[in-house]
Amino acid sequence: MRRAIALSLAAAVAGPAAAADVLHLYNWNNYITEATIRRFEARCGCRVKQDYYSDNEELLAKLEAGATGYDILVPSGNAVETLIRQAALKPLDRALLPHLGNLRAEYMDAWYDRGNRYSVPYAYSITLIGYNVDRIRALGLPADSWALIFEPRHLEKLKGRVTVLNSQRELLGAAMRYLGYSVQERDPARWEAAKRLILAAKPYWAAFSNSTYIKDLAIGNIWVAHGYSNDMFRAREDARAAARPFAIDFFTPKEGAVLGVDSMVLHKGGRRVDLAHRFIDFMLEGENAATLSNQIGAGNPNRAALPHIRPDIAANPHIFPGAAALARLEMVRDFDPRTRRALSRMWTEIKVR
Amino acid sequence: MNRPTDRAGIRARRAVSLPPLLFLLAFFALPALIMVGASFRHPGEFGGLAPLLAAGGAGDGGLTLEAYRFFVSDTVFVEIFARSFAVALATTLICLTLAYPLALLIARSPRRRRDVMVLLVILPFASNFLIRVYAWIMILGPLNLLYTPVAVIVGMVYVHLPFVILPLYTNLEKHDPVLLDAAQDLGASTWQRFWRVTFPLSLPGVFSGGALVFIPVLGMFAIPELLGGTGDILVGNLIKEQFLESRDWPFGSTLSIMLTFAVLAAAWAMTRLARGRRGAV
Amino acid sequence: MRRGWALWAFSLAVYAFLYVPLAVVVLFSFNDSELNAQWVGFTTRWYARLAGNADMLAAAANSIAIALIAATCATVLGTLAGIAMQHYRVRALPALVLIPVAMPEILLGVSLLLFFRQLLDLTLGFVSIVIAHITFSIGFVAIIIRARLEGMDESIFEAARDLGATPWQTFRHVTLPLIMPGVAAGFLMSFTLSIDDFVITFFTAGVGVSTLPLTIYSMIKVAVTPEVNAVSTVLMSVTLTMIFAAARLAPEAVRRPR
Repeated sequence: MRRAIALSLAAAVAGPAAAADVLHLYNWNNYITEATIRRFEARCGCRVKQDYYSDNEELLAKLEAGATGYDILVPSGNAVETLIRQAALKPLDRALLPHLGNLRAEYMDAWYDRGNRYSVPYAYSITLIGYNVDRIRALGLPADSWALIFEPRHLEKLKGRVTVLNSQRELLGAAMRYLGYSVQERDPARWEAAKRLILAAKPYWAAFSNSTYIKDLAIGNIWVAHGYSNDMFRAREDARAAARPFAIDFFTPKEGAVLGVDSMVLHKGGRRVDLAHRFIDFMLEGENAATLSNQIGAGNPNRAALPHIRPDIAANPHIFPGAAALARLEMVRDFDPRTRRALSRMWTEIKVR
Repeated sequence: MNRPTDRAGIRARRAVSLPPLLFLLAFFALPALIMVGASFRHPGEFGGLAPLLAAGGAGDGGLTLEAYRFFVSDTVFVEIFARSFAVALATTLICLTLAYPLALLIARSPRRRRDVMVLLVILPFASNFLIRVYAWIMILGPLNLLYTPVAVIVGMVYVHLPFVILPLYTNLEKHDPVLLDAAQDLGASTWQRFWRVTFPLSLPGVFSGGALVFIPVLGMFAIPELLGGTGDILVGNLIKEQFLESRDWPFGSTLSIMLTFAVLAAAWAMTRLARGRRGAV
Repeated sequence: MRRGWALWAFSLAVYAFLYVPLAVVVLFSFNDSELNAQWVGFTTRWYARLAGNADMLAAAANSIAIALIAATCATVLGTLAGIAMQHYRVRALPALVLIPVAMPEILLGVSLLLFFRQLLDLTLGFVSIVIAHITFSIGFVAIIIRARLEGMDESIFEAARDLGATPWQTFRHVTLPLIMPGVAAGFLMSFTLSIDDFVITFFTAGVGVSTLPLTIYSMIKVAVTPEVNAVSTVLMSVTLTMIFAAARLAPEAVRRPR
């Protein structure tokens, strides 16, 4: 036992010391394929070490308190804005990114990083509704609107079979879009309306869930879930692979929804700017960018990736929205501290009532 | 033995108390002070803390009681505290009820068997927390109990059970069988022997085991999140939300300080109760 | 005798409660279905896949090493703290020992991270995780030890002293043997606390040093495959083997010397 300790201690100490050419990637789990990493390692003659986070807030809290050593992060738009304003990022050197031109203009030059000085879009997802096709068809419910999770007249038939995201901004955003407002809405009267809408629907929901809904949908416990397009894609594939006696599908509500674009950025605490640029440019090559969409059904901002993406994924309008649908999608932008506090109080009330 | 006066005794007292004292001062008290300080600051524009000296007269520098004012501005927060204490109390009582007989059995088993029985208690906890909770999802789902308050309690009890069994066992194991024999000789029945001898002697174990469940339950957020329904929110969830979702560190610290005070008050009340009981016996 | 029977039946039921979810975990690590919703068929492919998953194996090795070191240190410090509280009535200790147990782990995690980075400028990694784990485990050990010592006849210690034993001899030959079951229980508790911790580890872990809970937690969002069940099963087997090996190699450390 003592030897085991000594050995693992030695490994722990030797690990970082021996790392001459290592790129540290702080990423969402399962957000790059193993094969892609291997290909990059072969090309650059280096190693890629990944650590994972499971939401933007975890990433921000950890960096805010002083974590360093990560070369590349993959935060969503609002977190990119935060990191830029905190001067936590290094600017990109465009001369080292010859494949930047592969990206589609719609996903460039976003409000959080005008001129893309710091960020390169990597993938995106839409917060939408996933549902059990057979159940919803049998119940004769509409699969095109947020009404499915908010209207008591529909929910009566779905009691205990619906989950919504355990996220203040996502749920409020959905309610706001349903009421015809923006997800950035800050008018107290409209917040109040959204709160009433949520409270009226809440008794019919089974739970607030950020992770278990994938399995619940695929198993059949839950018939309607508010969640991310990647997750719904996964639930659909899982249900198919397990030959469940029903099908899972997903739709973007006609009222519009939240769009989450994740970008690659360079953290100021990173040590290998050279490798980081090589990695970003590698991921911009169409063939490499496509692997992620093929594996997890992520939306892809890379034009050159399209020919390499499975046709059924590339043709799915809820993964690759057309121009009209894209116009109805909104990215979440962070509120100021006072508004965040007010929202947190409203959220707590929603949970307790 | 409280205050040794001889030199060897003083040296021994120092040797025993200094290492844990210094360690906890350095790695617990100092960091905790940072957080106490945080509760008097303004939240930073993008999370974390606002700088003490506000740049450009933004008005958010310096120290403030705002987080505390916010805490008392709405009954909803106190309501969550009360609810969490109720859940913690229920969990503690169920844990004690389940753990006591088992701990007693282990303590009275032959020594060879005892080690194995203790290991059997702890072994499930060498697997992973989330995996055990997921296993409960698979069990509770078909029973139609998933996403209910019952599921939260079951999860809480399951996760904390060894933390009562071990202190109880440690306490019960030291009881002198001579006492029980004496009671029997005096004609006491099995129940009388238990209630008059064993149970009063085991109270320190009951209280320490109870504390090791009650307190951690209050800060737990994963179980309500994964097993609970739409109304199952505890202080732990509220605090986690402040640090992550709302990025309001000052309010998160305030909530934590309030919770710590509430726990210490409960612990103090328990100690009083324990002393009272022992005095009566 | 009838009561003895009832005690056994009840205890077996409690053991069953402890082991039913575990049986589910182990059983479904052999299930031939990625979704793992119902039993499909027997396979060992998740173990094969686990054997090829270097990240997860490294994380598991880290977890075990951290848990062993942290539990050992926490047991020593916690035992001392327990004795100091009970025998010497050191005033500052009860609060210092109790509050880390009472403090929500997320607060402890954030405060340690701030402390390590902004006050000590320590590079996060193995050491910072170990320190954090010791910090939250000490209290658990101290509380057990104190409960063990409480109500013990203090005349034993006085007798030892009167017989001319030095404080060290008293500790070695009287106190330690008396509290040994508490020490062992405290170690086991610290070990499980450490090997299972997610929140505090998340904040104190640095680049490239991951533990099993960190790896698994980041997976739950997207891919809880039976591989995770497999790694749990392996972890339990390893723990079991280690404990039995320890019992074999150093029986006096596990069993109570009399």
